Amino acid sequence: MTPPTLTTERLTLTALSDRHFEPMAAFYADDRSSFVGGPLTAERTWRVLAGEIGHWTLRGYGRFAVELTATGEMVGLIGPWNPHAWPEPEIGWDLMNGHEGKGYATEAAKATRDWAYSALGWTTVISLVAEGNHGSRKVAERLGCTLEGPYTHEIYGTMNIWRHPGPEAAS
Amino acid sequence: MNYAEPFETERLHLTPFAPEHMEPAYAFFLSERGRWHGAGPDEGPGRAWRICATLMGHWQIHGFGSYALVEKVTGACIGGIGIFYPAGHPEREIGWSMYAREGEGFAAEAGRAIVDRYLGHFGWDTLVSYIDPDNKRSAALAERLGAVIDSAAEKGHPDDLVYRHRMGGHA
Repeated sequence: MTPPTLTTERLTLTALSDRHFEPMAAFYADDRSSFVGGPLTAERTWRVLAGEIGHWTLRGYGRFAVELTATGEMVGLIGPWNPHAWPEPEIGWDLMNGHEGKGYATEAAKATRDWAYSALGWTTVISLVAEGNHGSRKVAERLGCTLEGPYTHEIYGTMNIWRHPGPEAAS
Repeated sequence: MNYAEPFETERLHLTPFAPEHMEPAYAFFLSERGRWHGAGPDEGPGRAWRICATLMGHWQIHGFGSYALVEKVTGACIGGIGIFYPAGHPEREIGWSMYAREGEGFAAEAGRAIVDRYLGHFGWDTLVSYIDPDNKRSAALAERLGAVIDSAAEKGHPDDLVYRHRMGGHA
């Protein structure tokens, strides 16, 4: 399916395309990506981008490119994420380099959570936060999530499951 | 150019790789032979699924990509062959995976058709195949398609053999 465009106060959430490759390559080249399977080469990053787009084809939803409405600059890769062999559907957030600490992850994740509840009909959702990823943990707390416990992934290792407030509590 | 238009050979329908071809492709990438493609049992089911997602996203990014080989007689998807061009690949590549029915000439039949279609009908200048020197079956197929080793070509990975395809190079 073609992703819709969502807007928040400062952000536009839109379909991923090849114009998002460069900011993603910079993110995945950096140690900041170590919590989400990085660092990766440019080629592996391209495959990740194509895989994120293919996730929409296979699932009918996926993560959005998050752009600053004012400039069009990509600040994040955020939204519903549920690849095969995942514990359950989650809202995932990766902030591109230089865009941390401005509240973009919280703002965009909340918009995609609202979309998952309203458009996809989800009744519950989690987020997985890697051990030691303090920035991401703070986002989960700001979104009202509660810590459920650890989950160990075959590739990404041990992460913590944070459960979001349900559709009524979150609205 | 409508690269996504399905076409056919004597025994096969070729159509862009899509969710309905997922099951045999996923099983292949999860198997031992998936190792040639960066998957395999050690990489786990998530990786096999993501490679399938990547093949679908490839079509959306470039407009060309991998075709499912659907046998006319049985309707079964028996392999995937097509164009692969991630960031970091020096040139556009034709690559192949047979999920079933090896040794019956299906890969060569589809490979010839795709080489002719892209170099002939679509007018591309050239196509290469990057092949691990230990993957003898794949090298044998490249040679059956009339490709020759281009030792001067830039490689994606240092160990690769680069086979260059030519229009009408095959018998």
